[in-house]
Amino acid sequence: MRRTLTLIPAHNEAANLPAVVAEIRERRPDLDILVVDDGSTDDTSQVLDRLGVRWLGWPQRRGVGCAVRAGLRYGARLGFDVIVRLDADGQHDAGAISRLLARLHEDDVDAVMGSRYADSYPGPAMVKRALASVVSMASRRRVTDATSGFWALGPRAVALLAAHHPRGYPEPELHLLLSRNGLRVAEVPVRSRARLSGRSTLTLLRLLAAGARVLLAVVIVPLRERVEP
Amino acid sequence: MTSRIQIVAILGSVIFLLLVLELVRRRRLAEEYSALWIVAALMLLVASIRRDLIDRTAAWLGIYYGPAVLLLGLVVAVSAVLLWMSVVLSRQQSQIDHLIEESAILSAELREQRQSGADYVGAGPKRPRA
Repeated sequence: MRRTLTLIPAHNEAANLPAVVAEIRERRPDLDILVVDDGSTDDTSQVLDRLGVRWLGWPQRRGVGCAVRAGLRYGARLGFDVIVRLDADGQHDAGAISRLLARLHEDDVDAVMGSRYADSYPGPAMVKRALASVVSMASRRRVTDATSGFWALGPRAVALLAAHHPRGYPEPELHLLLSRNGLRVAEVPVRSRARLSGRSTLTLLRLLAAGARVLLAVVIVPLRERVEP
Repeated sequence: MTSRIQIVAILGSVIFLLLVLELVRRRRLAEEYSALWIVAALMLLVASIRRDLIDRTAAWLGIYYGPAVLLLGLVVAVSAVLLWMSVVLSRQQSQIDHLIEESAILSAELREQRQSGADYVGAGPKRPRA
């Protein structure tokens, strides 16, 4: 029997966390829940105490990549074999966790990504499509959603990413890292919702920095030495 | 014949070298980062004593104006130091990241242990929770 942990990186999501946790508990009461509080300045820590979930955190913001890596390290240390990562803003439907896990348990893959754009790209799609094309080309696998934060990670992926999860704005680089190290990734179509409340922390400046970082990763990651998970 | 500028250059190089050594002595500059500065100070000292070396290097490189070699050397040395400092910063950032995450995980484990009391088995790579 595989032990599964749900990992939710959060920065100033006190308003959304209760609903997100409640939905996971309703859909998958068998899963442990860990929230990584990435230097929130709102009431996140009080909310976490009330929710009764596992949580860890630090006083200053370090980025979602660091938050996910710390959560993976925590999960691996406590003996969790599978870790499901989803966002704290409520955009991911917890009902899809079972589909991701079912696909992961088919045993021919090491990680499963919930793709919001498996069927079509909503709205102005040029940037998303271009990014997906670049990441597909660099990872030599068809990637339809290069920025998805909805993943189910199996034991090999957990072991690899607990030590080497990219920092910063990590999702596109994650595809490259998994591909470079020979881990098998599958996609499952998922429904995306608007965030429940608040605003995204992604500003234009951060978006530009993330784009530059992705371009660098496309060149560098395939040239890096492979890491044994 | 020794010119005034040569004396000033030699004095400056010696003072720079002594400054670096003093910083190491006071533990304000770690030994591993002092090597580059000591080498730089010694090179300055050699160039101050043997000014003909600059002219010879300029001739060998095909540079007509001798002092331009000094500027070139300065630019190369400063760039090398900056790159090295970036490597050091990156390494330290990685170490700090690791420590913050370890500290956060240990705090979480301690909190869970306190909450669960004696029933909590604990955590660690070789003793997962039952």
